[in-house]
Amino acid sequence: MYATQSKRNMSFEYQAQIINYRPSLHTRRANLTVKFQDIYGFSVEGNVDDVNVLNEVREKVREQGRVWWALEASKGANWYLHTHVSSTLKASLKLSALANAITLKRLIRKGIPPVLRPKIWFALSGAAKKKSTVPESYYDDLIKATEGKATAATKQIDHDLPRTFPGHPWLDTSEGHAALRRVLVGYSFRDSYVGYCQGLNYVAALLLLVMKTEEDAFWMLAVLLEDVLVSDCYSNNLSGCHVEQRVFQDLLTQKYPRIAAHLEALEFDVSLVATEWFLCLFSKSLPSETTMRVWDVLFYEGAKVLFHVALAIFKMKEDELLLSHHVGDVINILQKTTHHMFDPDDLLTVAFDKIGSMTTNTISKQRKKQEPAVMKELDQRFRRLNSLKDAVGQ
Amino acid sequence: MATIGHNNLNAKLVLLGDMGAGKSSVVLRFVKGQFLEFQESTIGAAFFSQTLAVNDATVKFEIWDTAGQERYHSLAPMYYRGAAAAIIVYDITTQESFSRAKKWVQELQKQGNPNMVMALAGNKADLEEKRVVLAEEARTYAEENGLFFMETSAKTAKNVNEIFYEIAKKLPRAQAPQNPAGMVLVDRQGDAARASSCCS
Ligand SMILES: Nc1nc2c(ncn2[C@@H]2O[C@H](COP(=O)(O)OP(=O)(O)OP(=O)(O)O)[C@@H](O)[C@H]2O)c(=O)[nH]1
Ligand SMILES: [Mg+2]
Repeated sequence: MYATQSKRNMSFEYQAQIINYRPSLHTRRANLTVKFQDIYGFSVEGNVDDVNVLNEVREKVREQGRVWWALEASKGANWYLHTHVSSTLKASLKLSALANAITLKRLIRKGIPPVLRPKIWFALSGAAKKKSTVPESYYDDLIKATEGKATAATKQIDHDLPRTFPGHPWLDTSEGHAALRRVLVGYSFRDSYVGYCQGLNYVAALLLLVMKTEEDAFWMLAVLLEDVLVSDCYSNNLSGCHVEQRVFQDLLTQKYPRIAAHLEALEFDVSLVATEWFLCLFSKSLPSETTMRVWDVLFYEGAKVLFHVALAIFKMKEDELLLSHHVGDVINILQKTTHHMFDPDDLLTVAFDKIGSMTTNTISKQRKKQEPAVMKELDQRFRRLNSLKDAVGQ
Repeated sequence: MATIGHNNLNAKLVLLGDMGAGKSSVVLRFVKGQFLEFQESTIGAAFFSQTLAVNDATVKFEIWDTAGQERYHSLAPMYYRGAAAAIIVYDITTQESFSRAKKWVQELQKQGNPNMVMALAGNKADLEEKRVVLAEEARTYAEENGLFFMETSAKTAKNVNEIFYEIAKKLPRAQAPQNPAGMVLVDRQGDAARASSCCS
């Protein structure tokens, strides 16, 4: 049963949702908030300017598509797979691999066309490789094995299914719920240490929308948790997430000391906003196409991309943030900004051209530096809570 | 509208409770007067503010609606630190959520601001036919632990404004004069921006 279902393409086709929105004269004049559906089927509220930006973005996506097709035509369909410079290659081949790698990185930062996303994400993230190391039937077997089983994780997943992007034309249908359930339950059995963490529901839901097949979405989720993101991001006490928050705080202090100092004076802790950013990979904060653009780069360049993007959001609002007087203002500024980032290039240009380079290596070092303190703090808190229990006699 | 001598009070308020107990729904009802049959699950926490007029003062609540899943527990201190008030929410249709609520109470008694006003909310009171936690049991528990108790329904709006109103009324009295942890009483004529700095 599941086998046929999981292989079938998702019936939700975002292409069908592409409509050019022409707000009525009345709205244009009154500059009212309009409600519309974006290319992934999410309903968005914005003003007329936002609608115009989205239409421009659609045009840019089409242009970007033409660039990719042209490259495929000249370099071959899977050219992006030949970007590894190995020592055994002939000199001329090495050079072309290097050239491909440079082209690819630049190209991906400019965005992968939506139709190519499933194929390119799957190949470049390492999901394809991960899948190839297990038998063909792995996913179907896993799903069959989980059928009818109830665990703490399945209970929480069931609770969250209707609460994951409610109102979405495909995700919020019985078919959408069932697919999301299989992916999340399947993963909770694959890694029972992680089980289910709230936040993964949003990530898996978007992966389903993009990847089209449930099985590919599952492998993307696996590669994300097991290879792309910091370890223990979602497990147990979210220790990995705590580490990322501290690294982010340090980076902000390093790169933008004025913003960091101002926020510190307001007793604003970056994790007040960034926890959700990092755990949902921006899917609850940014408009869908902007989120997808972040993920394009995330799957190719790794978890450091999250820092680039988070820093960029603060940087873009520097002036306003420096004028804020209160934690609540800071949160409102950042929330409003992220919700209205309809043009992905605005964000990504800052994220990759203005922040300055950060290597995965330096990030790893910073994580190593923060880990002991985070572990110690979590451990202390755990002990304190336990002593609390003893004191109350429970 | 501001009258001379009119007091303006800022209070940080945190909602704690099991996943799905209805924390976000209670806040949404209070802040926007809305209810969604399916409310998105909260990740980390969400921030809202809402002002209430109580007697001769206005109270501006800065509300932190936290995530309920157990593993998010490690984030909670950041939200209840320096809070002037807390609403601990459980769902009257599950015993588990009531146990979880009691754990939150213990933790706040031990680690929270000692002057914190604490309210216990038995939410989803509209689901009488599915009730498993008796109101009397919760009331007794609340009395024993110095909390005030109300059964609420984010769906029907029952007692939602009331619980915030009740907290607002209790706030100034709960404030020990020598230790204004969690809130600052200011004059409305003062610098509005500085006035809103709160939460030690
Ligand atoms: N019948 C009824 N349903 C409610 C009530 N309050 C909340 N719900 C429903 O219960 C579900 C969970 O509500 P939320 O407000 O998201 O719960 P939460 O405590 O914020 O959950 P987390 O964010 O996961 O911690 C939603 O589908 C709500 O519609 C209520 O008073 N009555
Ligand atoms: Mg919530």
